Amino acid sequence: MNWRRINNILHRDLGYLCFGLTIIYAISGVAVNHIADWNPNYRIERLQTAIDPAPLQGLSGDTLVKTILDQLGETSEIKGSYRADKENLQIFVVNNNITANLATGAVYQEKNRPRKVLFEMNFLHINHAKKLWTWVADLYAIALFLVAITGLFVLRGKKGITGRGGWLTATGIAIPVFFLWLYL
Amino acid sequence: MKRMLLPLLLSLMLLSTPAFAKTYGKGVHVDKATPVSAILDTPDNYLGKTVKIEGLIVEVCSKRGCWIYVAGDRPEEKIQVKVTDGEIVFPMSATGRVGVIEGIVDEVVMSKEEMIKYQEHLAQEKGKPFDPSSISDGARFIRLIGLGAEINE
Repeated sequence: MNWRRINNILHRDLGYLCFGLTIIYAISGVAVNHIADWNPNYRIERLQTAIDPAPLQGLSGDTLVKTILDQLGETSEIKGSYRADKENLQIFVVNNNITANLATGAVYQEKNRPRKVLFEMNFLHINHAKKLWTWVADLYAIALFLVAITGLFVLRGKKGITGRGGWLTATGIAIPVFFLWLYL
Repeated sequence: MKRMLLPLLLSLMLLSTPAFAKTYGKGVHVDKATPVSAILDTPDNYLGKTVKIEGLIVEVCSKRGCWIYVAGDRPEEKIQVKVTDGEIVFPMSATGRVGVIEGIVDEVVMSKEEMIKYQEHLAQEKGKPFDPSSISDGARFIRLIGLGAEINE
């Protein structure tokens, strides 16, 4: 078996192995790239509503929290509550952070849900997992490196690295170099 | 049946609730917790020191998970814990949970202009209105640079 055949087999099989993670990194990459414009991890809905403050007077602790949640029709599991200041009580339920003004009855709700699939993709891409995943991601990076190198030598002749492939490779290298020159 | 197995397994993995580690960053190693009130009352005694605090997490950075606010031991008091982007990422589900956090006490001094810019940014992120005239002066913020945490999720 000559070296080019080994090169091509390596390129092909690593390409198959890297497919899944490449798709994840590509989609998550675009999502995270635009983090200034949107939240790539959570779908957040902010609501300004109101409750009747009269029944709240004189209440405290769990009874106060429960009365507010009853008025809002919020039935999710209660995680905790916090008196932000004299007038505002924050109540945390699963996927909803509620701030209720006890004097006026004004309520601000921040309902959040992890974006399906994208949350998990970002979790892997940004390496929130840490631990063993760091090594898996390193192996993926090495595999990508090998895919890139072996890719240069898949074809011979005019379309290979000595012809068209060479020009395209040079263009691919020139693009980041140009932006480094432009912005650095 | 075999053909169905792989897509089924992948779908289950993607759609199931993510298993977050309860320990973040380097974890917590300091033995004794310092009350938030002590840090806020006499910050100069703690600046640059590594401390452990405990309390209810009342706010989490929704975009990057790069900061949280932890309620203090006194009513209406809280302290920010800032972590390096990507090193520790706090999930929004940590809000309302009790956390034990280890970090270095740090200060940020902001001019009036910097305060306006900062509050404007926070209001934008929260989708809340902001009136620059509500800021009359600069401020000194005492916060923790978070090194690790354990959150009761």
